[in-house]
Amino acid sequence: MYSRRVVVQNKTGLHARPASDFVSMAKKIKSQITIKSIEEDVEVDAKSIVLLISLGAGKGTEVEITAKGEDEKEAVDSLVALIESKFGEE
Amino acid sequence: MTYYGIVASEGIVFGDVFHYEPFVPSISEKKINSADIDKNIKSYENICEKAKKEIQELIEQMPQRDTDKLKIFSAHIEIVSDVAINEEIRGYIANELYSPDYAINLVYDKYIKIISRSKDPLIRERAADLKDVKLRLLRLWFNVDNTSLSNLQKPVVVVASDLSPSDTATMKRENVLAILTEAGGITSHTAILAKSCGIPAVLGIPNITKELKPSETVIVDAIEGKVITNPTQDEIDYYAARKKEFNIKMEEAKSFLSIEPFTSDGVRIEIALNICSSDDRELAHRNYTDGVGLFRTEFLYMKNENLPTEEEQFEEYKKVLQAYKDKPVTIRTLDIGGDKKLPCLELPEEDNPFLGLRALRLCFDNLHIFKTQLRALYRASIYGNLWIMFPMVGSLEDFRLAKKITEEVKAELAAGGYDFRNDVKIGIMVEIPSIAVMADKVASEVDFASIGTNDLCQYLTAVDRLNPKVVQYYQVYHPALFRVIGNVAKAFREHGKPLSICGELSGDPLVTPVLIGMGIRKLSMNESSVAAVKKQISTLDMQSAKRIANTVLELETAEQVEAFLKSEAAQK
Repeated sequence: MYSRRVVVQNKTGLHARPASDFVSMAKKIKSQITIKSIEEDVEVDAKSIVLLISLGAGKGTEVEITAKGEDEKEAVDSLVALIESKFGEE
Repeated sequence: MTYYGIVASEGIVFGDVFHYEPFVPSISEKKINSADIDKNIKSYENICEKAKKEIQELIEQMPQRDTDKLKIFSAHIEIVSDVAINEEIRGYIANELYSPDYAINLVYDKYIKIISRSKDPLIRERAADLKDVKLRLLRLWFNVDNTSLSNLQKPVVVVASDLSPSDTATMKRENVLAILTEAGGITSHTAILAKSCGIPAVLGIPNITKELKPSETVIVDAIEGKVITNPTQDEIDYYAARKKEFNIKMEEAKSFLSIEPFTSDGVRIEIALNICSSDDRELAHRNYTDGVGLFRTEFLYMKNENLPTEEEQFEEYKKVLQAYKDKPVTIRTLDIGGDKKLPCLELPEEDNPFLGLRALRLCFDNLHIFKTQLRALYRASIYGNLWIMFPMVGSLEDFRLAKKITEEVKAELAAGGYDFRNDVKIGIMVEIPSIAVMADKVASEVDFASIGTNDLCQYLTAVDRLNPKVVQYYQVYHPALFRVIGNVAKAFREHGKPLSICGELSGDPLVTPVLIGMGIRKLSMNESSVAAVKKQISTLDMQSAKRIANTVLELETAEQVEAFLKSEAAQK
């Protein structure tokens, strides 16, 4: 199991388009992946766009991404990098 | 048979009935046989595939540049294929033996509820996406055709229990001969839209959807408010003659359409239009009017399940501004809430929506919606003579806050390298009594104002104008309304600031002399009222206008005002 924390920095947070980008990347990964909002202490399946939107991770939310499986490390790193890239906003 | 209703927009029409029933699923808890689990899961998966195909086709028909919309529909495909939702739905089918439609409804509603409760407005909006997907799946499950008014194949009389804003905004107007509904009053959105497009409409006809047979030919008398089925030859002849008469009257009135509105003693009165889209039909009237006095932008928001993007709005405003060249185009920022709901925005239920979170208040609460609109407006400002108007201003603080946000948007645009005009006029709607009372202070601060008489009358008389039980208390000729208008007019005249009237009163030729007599020089109205009001102006002199205005201010009741104005009109 491998986890990392990251703060959502893009303006619109993890909804709509960014959520859609995030989920499509997560779906390509074999490992089980979860994303957790630290503030709310809620953890959800990162491959579900509906759960991800329900998580309500707006700008400034700290999230923890955890993966379990053969590609766990690359999985977490690439998803963290995607969040850090602000999804191409600004 | 003859059926009776309320006339919302005049005309006489012979046409065939088209029943419009928006899809409303009726869901109840239904169980399936345990032997049929696999079969039901398979059917659920089939409708998901069909839904994806439908959405894909929608995406392919969309213009490529509309990237925001494309992404939203791509997200809909994601939702249909969502692992969590699919797992829960399959679970309900397999373990609880729920029928798929019940399972779909249950699971989607659960997430719609969670998302609608979010404190982040951007997230709350996404509930609309889930609702859209849910309805699509259920419609496919019940195997109902995707009917809509946007693809009417031939001219018809549209019959419905009620029309939603998105129905009216997307309907194929050229094929709508007339509108008949069971619900709705003369100030409903259906009425406003019918009037501004010149589509004859009779609303509030009890049971009309059950009474009329599909495709039967009816006569719609949208002057007297009647619908006639199985007409006798006599009736056909009679209405053919009435129709001809009405058309001649319209033609005659049209001769006044293009005149420049001067009173008989030479005072120029500005006549502007109330519009609700950049539709070419609405813009066709630009040559004989003095601009747009009220662009109701909420119809842009009512069209879709999603909020209009900055680009969509920019194109819309640009088109109107360019069409009117130097003439002022007054665009009212989003006025939603009260009787007007948005399909793209989850609004909380309120006990008193007319006194609740509506219009400007709603924009303050959803700053991103407000700012997107202001950005689009300022970006479009370079194409014409833009005036921006805020609705539901109750205090100077409201106005100052709206103006401060406007300044922020301008700074952001400047930083982003966008061009915009710095001389855009910023004004307000006068519709809340508190701001009308403060007119002298307001007039020194705003660039202009327009009196919205429908809302002002409703707030002044404390009557919900959509509540049929109290509608008799909604008195449009209430002398108090004229006194308030008179005071506001005086304050704006003293400060030399433009004041106009929009709302129903402005298009009522009976009232024209009163308004002009009070010193008002700009009236904004629906296209259908322009000819009659111009005709009235051309026969009016200032001395009689002042006399009529002064008399009205001395009268005691609405009944007296109406009788007096009618007697004045009859003397001509």
